[in-house]
Amino acid sequence: MFEMNEKHKELFIRKSSRTAASYLRRIKELSDDIESVSPFLEALKKIYVDFEPVHSCDDILVGTLCALIPNELIYAAGAKPVRLCSGSYTAYSVGDDAVPRDACPLTKAIMGFVETQSLPIYKDCSLLAVPVTCDCKKKLAGLLGEYMPTIILQVPSDKVSDDAVSRYSEELYRLVRELERVTGNTVTRQSLLGGIQTVGRAQYEMSRFAEYRKHTPALIHGTHTMAVMNAYSYLSADTWADLMSELNDELEERKQKGIFAEKDKNPRIMVTGSPIAFPNMKIPLLIEEMGGILAADETCMGERGIYDPTVVIDTSFDSMMRALANRYIRPCTCPVFSDNRQRLYRIKQMIKTHQIQGVIYHVLRGCLVYDYEYTIMEEELEKLDIPIIRVESDYNEEDVEQLRVRIEAFIELIKLKNLKNSKKR
Amino acid sequence: MRNKKIGQVCVWVICILLTVGAFFAKDFVLYDFHMLVSDYTYGESAEEKPAYADTAFWFSYGDDRAVQYGFDEGISYDDIALYAKTETEVLRVSDEDEYPFSEDFIGYLIAVVPPQTQIINGEEKTVYDFARADFGPHTFELTPRAFNSEEIAFELAFEERNRIQVFYKNEYLTNARITVIGSDGSEHTYTTDSDGYIEDFPIKYIRNGFTASYEPDGTSVYRMSYALEDYSYFTTHFYKAHLPVLVVLLITAVCIGCVCLIRKQYEKKKSTHKCAGKHSVKFRNDLRGTASSKFLLIRWLFLIFGFFWWTYAGKLISGGQALNQIAVPVFSCPFNLDQVLESSCYYLTHLPVLFTRNIFYVISFLVTLFLFLIFGGRILCGFMCPLGFIQDLMDKLRSALHIKPIYVSERMNKALQPLKWIWIIMFFCLVFAGVDFCDICPNKVFSSAFGGFWVNLALCGFLTIAILVCSFFIRRFWCIICPMGYLLGIFYKFNLFKLKKDCTACTECGACYESCPMRLKNIYTEREKENVQTVDCLMCGECINKCPEDHALRMTFCGKTIYQSSRMGFMSKFASKKRRKKERERDV
Repeated sequence: MFEMNEKHKELFIRKSSRTAASYLRRIKELSDDIESVSPFLEALKKIYVDFEPVHSCDDILVGTLCALIPNELIYAAGAKPVRLCSGSYTAYSVGDDAVPRDACPLTKAIMGFVETQSLPIYKDCSLLAVPVTCDCKKKLAGLLGEYMPTIILQVPSDKVSDDAVSRYSEELYRLVRELERVTGNTVTRQSLLGGIQTVGRAQYEMSRFAEYRKHTPALIHGTHTMAVMNAYSYLSADTWADLMSELNDELEERKQKGIFAEKDKNPRIMVTGSPIAFPNMKIPLLIEEMGGILAADETCMGERGIYDPTVVIDTSFDSMMRALANRYIRPCTCPVFSDNRQRLYRIKQMIKTHQIQGVIYHVLRGCLVYDYEYTIMEEELEKLDIPIIRVESDYNEEDVEQLRVRIEAFIELIKLKNLKNSKKR
Repeated sequence: MRNKKIGQVCVWVICILLTVGAFFAKDFVLYDFHMLVSDYTYGESAEEKPAYADTAFWFSYGDDRAVQYGFDEGISYDDIALYAKTETEVLRVSDEDEYPFSEDFIGYLIAVVPPQTQIINGEEKTVYDFARADFGPHTFELTPRAFNSEEIAFELAFEERNRIQVFYKNEYLTNARITVIGSDGSEHTYTTDSDGYIEDFPIKYIRNGFTASYEPDGTSVYRMSYALEDYSYFTTHFYKAHLPVLVVLLITAVCIGCVCLIRKQYEKKKSTHKCAGKHSVKFRNDLRGTASSKFLLIRWLFLIFGFFWWTYAGKLISGGQALNQIAVPVFSCPFNLDQVLESSCYYLTHLPVLFTRNIFYVISFLVTLFLFLIFGGRILCGFMCPLGFIQDLMDKLRSALHIKPIYVSERMNKALQPLKWIWIIMFFCLVFAGVDFCDICPNKVFSSAFGGFWVNLALCGFLTIAILVCSFFIRRFWCIICPMGYLLGIFYKFNLFKLKKDCTACTECGACYESCPMRLKNIYTEREKENVQTVDCLMCGECINKCPEDHALRMTFCGKTIYQSSRMGFMSKFASKKRRKKERERDV
């Protein structure tokens, strides 16, 4: 097991809070004067810069990875979920020694935080729920088991068959038992309904927000959206929904007054692919600093993680468990599922609804599953005449300049294309 | 693999049992109305006689079910001869016997009045008067139960539904003019056909009583007063008619309890969810279960209306079946004679009988049937079918008790297909094998019993229980294997109501598939076509209600959208109270 002396730890904390602070500063500099965004940034600051807990000390924290763990169950058991997927560069460099070189940076960052036991949200977790999505998560689950109690959930590799949903709901039953053991509470029908309602309210506000995002010209910067969505991982759903409600009200007001985040019509760009976790916000920042607008994202740390509601068909306990399994398996466009053409349809649909002009396909180094789907994506988007580029990045600052050049060129390309189109008309 | 085999074998065994059972259906008695011979009474009524009558005479079973006839022109009670029909013969009944009726009496009585001379329309004529009353459990007779006795020269006998066969001197009376006077005083003239039938005889007449008269020559008149049953709602007879339903429901409840217990035992072994902790978390604002919508409310209103329509409406609105030429293909039992419109299921299951009817009836039957089949389709199942309503009620009950349902997987759905085909074959063909489909019909008990008709239950009662138990756990179980439903679905491409999907708006969340009572998967997996309706789609609108995407699913009528899914509409049930209020204010 990794041991770290106090001096190293202090150095680690200072270094990682510095990176986080610099990214937060850059996010704030992208000013569109939306006041309601700052509480979300404040929360991120508290976690990554100040290294302070965001929950009260009575709360039982349950850590989750990926967007496949039902937060509803965790709330129903009386605990608070925190999503531990992280984008810390400093933690990445620490975790680099514990996992293989070719593993994805996200795993390394998680490993880094767990090893150093520095970040409160990691330290305070009573249980960690890890779904076996990609290979990295599978091995990571094993490693994490040595540091904290971990429950591993098997994710079926297909989602269309009835069997897949039944099997995943069996896994969720296992999770419920484990949660009950950890919290000492019983998950009943009523509390499960309450859990669904709690998350549902956040999803309701999210749905309202999603409507504003479709607006052209953009009402809010995509980078801010990413920060807001990242904050959902750490804040409790109720708090997040309250803040989100204020944000939505402000956006509504701005929409009516005609105040937009961009002055002229910038190329509307969509990011899809590997998760963009705070503080690794370099791609959204680069897009918007280079004069594009991040109008939509199809990533699991963004909208997609919260977007799909639980559809309760019947209020018996088992039916709700099944509804949860259905909600976390079927609409999930994570490429770990063998047949994932659904993601393609989803992206095509978003291109239409969000008036997307270009797609940036983000691949974290070593994220094989997302890389697999690039080829077909490229083929299909070519048919729609939507430019797409594949951008590979790692958790460090070394590739920023290279990314800047590529993204800038991509935005110029779209601008040129728009110019040509308008001339034709 | 083994499970799959077991399931398939089970379905096939049920199929075989059902087929064999159909042939011995009458031997599996669940509930029989035991007619006590001592309860049949008749006599002279001195106090309550019709105004025109000198002598009144009544037949009765039990307390509140009497048929009364009045005879005038100085006929005394002693002159009347009474005949009762038993299974094998016709017996003369007399007051002197202590038990006037023999054990195998089937409830049909005829009183014969001695001939007398009357002046009718200025001519002196010999009048032969007869009065007939039919009591006993309600059944359809494929051949009319005539007395065919020498003492009864002129006789009418009720055959299934709206037909009357006329006998004169024990032979079919063909091509004769019969004058019928209804209880309301209206007079009609009918002509019998070559088999002695009067077609399209209003059931209203039979229910309320009528007098038919026939003049074979200028000098004599034969008259028969006839009443089938006469009772009103909320009498002992009416309540007694509900007994079979009660028995069925009781056994159903016991069966459901057993299934729940067995499942509990089975789950103990599997150890799914045990409440481990002591406390549970309390949440302030509870989810209002599933989302309600105006469309689903309308559907429920239609279902309730349909149930009322095919159960009580006939009696309350038109005083008997009125528009029997219109054949509506829903599973409503024609044993209930009070339907305003006819349910076509009787003639579909008795095709040879249909073609004995006159040609106009057959044409109007087929034309209305096909109009409904082609333009209506299975929306009738979702919105009108009384059996569908009862199944939905069972599902609501389960839902209210928070008992978990049984999921019909794709595999199970496939395994059930042989059962559906067996039902379809039996539905149309049993009659050719000499078996009545009504003997195994699971819907026989409801609409007729609620309407106050006494119906005996044999094998069909057990099947009703099976269907009820299944539909408690599997919503609309019967609809999955319903032969009539399949017939309704065949022309789905021409239906006026259509279910459409906007594939570009779909996120494949599978909510539609999970909510579909028929477990149709294509609606979830379809990514190309707009039309997602299939033979099995009930058009119940559940999928649209549960769809969280804007206009991903919609129902159209003649190409116009009448109901579509919307995201905010779906999500609004999650909104906080304050927010909901705000939305409402904005809408206003």
